[in-house]
Amino acid sequence: MNSELLTSFSDAANQTFKLLLDLDVITDTVQSPENNDKKEYIENIDIVIQITGDLNGEIMYSFPKDMTLEMVKIMSGMEFKEIDEFVKSALGEIANIISGSALSSLSQAQLICDIRPPKVSEGQTFPVSEGCSLYGAKVKTSIGDVGLNLRTIQSAG
Amino acid sequence: MLWKEKYMVGVPQIDQQHEELFSRVTAFVETLRSDKPWEQKLEKVSETLEFMKGYVVTHFADEEAYQAAIGYPHYQEHQKIHQKMVAYVVAVSDEYEKEGFKEELMQQFGGKLIAWLINHVLADDQKIAEYARSKGAN
Repeated sequence: MNSELLTSFSDAANQTFKLLLDLDVITDTVQSPENNDKKEYIENIDIVIQITGDLNGEIMYSFPKDMTLEMVKIMSGMEFKEIDEFVKSALGEIANIISGSALSSLSQAQLICDIRPPKVSEGQTFPVSEGCSLYGAKVKTSIGDVGLNLRTIQSAG
Repeated sequence: MLWKEKYMVGVPQIDQQHEELFSRVTAFVETLRSDKPWEQKLEKVSETLEFMKGYVVTHFADEEAYQAAIGYPHYQEHQKIHQKMVAYVVAVSDEYEKEGFKEELMQQFGGKLIAWLINHVLADDQKIAEYARSKGAN
C-alpha cells in the first residue's frame, strides 16, 4: 500500500515538472528503505511536508543543489548562483504543489489528507522511528534526480 | 522576464491581465534580485508590492466574474484558492511593515510568488479556459 501511496507523489512530481518546468521524467523507481544511502543526499536541499488525516506521516523531497538552481532559473528567467531564501521558498512551493496534487489524487481513492507548510533544510537526516514505515523513490529528469521519501506512522489499534 | 507564451489561456481579458501581472512580478523580482544594497531597493520593492496587492485583488475579482458569467462549475473552489493567496499577500505585507521592512521576508515572498503564480495560471486558470472553449464562450 505504501509503495502505491508513494507512486501518487512520484506521478504528481512527474506532472508538475512537465507543466511548470517543461521537464520530462526519464524514469522513476521505487527503492527499498535499505537502498536509501543518505550520503548521496548531502549536497541536496530537503523539503519535508507533514501529512495529516487518513494518512499520517511525512513526505521528504531531496533536490540536488544544481537542479534546484536550474529549476528556479527556468521559472524566473534569471541566473541564481546560490541557495538563498528566494530559492528555498520557490522550491518549497513546488514541493507544496506536488504534495497537494498527490493528495488530490489520493482523495479519489477515499484517502482524505491535509498538508502542513513545507520545511526546507540542507542535508537533513530522515530518521525512521519505531512504528514508522519508510519508502523511497527516485524521480530522474534531464537536469537531476529528485529523491522522494515517504514516512508513514501506523495508527494505534 | 517571467512571461511565456505557454501561459496564455486563450481568453483575451484574462490573458491581458495575466501579462500585466507577470510584468509587475518581473519588475518586483528583478528589483529584489539586483546587486544594490537593500536600503537602495526598499522604495521600489514597497512600490511594486503595493501595486500587486491592489492588482491581485482586481484581477482575481475580474476572473471570478468571468467564471460566474460562463457558469464555470468549479467557481467556488477557484475562489477559495484566490482568497487564500490574497490572505497570504496581505499577511506578508503586514508582517513586512511590522518587522521593519526586512529583506529575508521579501526574498521568501518572491520565491513562493513566482512558483505559485506559474502553477496557478498553468493548472487552475487553464481549466477555466478549457471549460469556456467547451461551451463556445471566450
